[in-house]
Amino acid sequence: MEEIRLYIESGTLELYATGGLNAEEREEAEAMLAKHPSLHAELVEIEKSLEKYAQSYAIEPSDKLRDRIIGNILTSAVHHTNSDVPTEPKVRKIASNQNTFYKYAFAASVALLFLSLAALVVMNSRLRETNQQLALIQNTNQQYSSRVNYLNNQLNTKETVLSVLRNPEFKMVKLAGTKQAPSASMTVAFNSAKKEVMIDMASLEMPAHDQEHQYQLWALVDGKPVDLGVFSVNSEDNGMIKMKDIAAAQAFAVTLELRGGSINPTMEQMMVMGAI
Amino acid sequence: MSKQKITLSENELILALREKNKLGAEALYDMYSSSLYGIIYRIVQHEEMAEDLLQDTFVKIWNSFSSYDSTKGRLFTWMVNVARNLSIDKIRSKDFRNNIKNQDIENTVNIIDEQRSTAINPDIVGVKELVQHLKPEQKSILDLVYFRGYTHVEAAEELGIPLGTVKTRMRMAITTLRKFFN
Repeated sequence: MEEIRLYIESGTLELYATGGLNAEEREEAEAMLAKHPSLHAELVEIEKSLEKYAQSYAIEPSDKLRDRIIGNILTSAVHHTNSDVPTEPKVRKIASNQNTFYKYAFAASVALLFLSLAALVVMNSRLRETNQQLALIQNTNQQYSSRVNYLNNQLNTKETVLSVLRNPEFKMVKLAGTKQAPSASMTVAFNSAKKEVMIDMASLEMPAHDQEHQYQLWALVDGKPVDLGVFSVNSEDNGMIKMKDIAAAQAFAVTLELRGGSINPTMEQMMVMGAI
Repeated sequence: MSKQKITLSENELILALREKNKLGAEALYDMYSSSLYGIIYRIVQHEEMAEDLLQDTFVKIWNSFSSYDSTKGRLFTWMVNVARNLSIDKIRSKDFRNNIKNQDIENTVNIIDEQRSTAINPDIVGVKELVQHLKPEQKSILDLVYFRGYTHVEAAEELGIPLGTVKTRMRMAITTLRKFFN
């Protein structure tokens, strides 16, 4: 037939066989193939020659692949076979008296329901118990964490204190009590090379003060007082507080001031003093 | 050293694949692994990747065998499509693009021939002769479309020739092959 001859000579089948047609063109070709069986024979010949051509470019894969790939092929097989092949449903004879069946079915359902409810109740109480245990464990954990944090902080503080005390650059200056507070005393660690001034809070023997007041540290430089910052008496603090820097001074002194400190020291409220 | 390779006729193979038995898997591999591997390697040009793709191809063939329709063509054509599509998806994927080698068509074909001329299947007689029979432009068309998955429109664009020319060249290429192999 002329149409078929022309179709064959057009080269469409060759493109179809080599995968060179787009989806729409493929469908048209498949329609033609379905319609004209002689086209099918032509296609087969085209495909056979392509197979031989492909074989001429064959590359033998390495030997080790054979067993591995075959193994993977076989283990990959999906256990459900074609879904378009329906399995024959087993036909059961229903009891001739349909009522009996439903009665049994009902009874079975009710029994199942009760069993489920019972299981549910048991599960629920177990769950509650487990939750309680969990809460308890979490609480204990929390306590441990807090304790660990606390101890860590203590450790850091002590390590800082120790490093200052051991450092030969730091000179320990003892401040002794004045008439206002004869039994007061404290120690200031002074590193003149690095201009660092630290108060050793553990050594503090200072009278307590209220919230409206604070202590202020001064350095006496050539007769003039220089502010080194304020600090509070806090019975829990046992580390080192860093104050403002000063390169050189003759003495340190501490006065009691209003909270936040003062520009000039209130001399009547001088608590302790010590020469460097 | 090589095990006895298993060969089945097309119909026997189709049956075995439908039943998913071990013989089918072995025959499938023995009959087609080198052809498919050749095609895959030609596209990705990377041994480890090609090996993984070969496995993926066979697994896919095995598991989607129910979608093979023999009225639409031979088994091998369908399998080549699976291999080709997986390989092309791979080279288009992100991690491959970093390593992509840009070679023009002629180069690719020639380089692979030189590298692989020793591995060309010795069972096919006179392959070198075939290569001489096939005109370069026919070879290019086969390479672009059959091996590298270009559509005829894309091939026309790539080669800078009209669509009609692509079609006639392809027909001539395959006619040459048919004459040669028969």
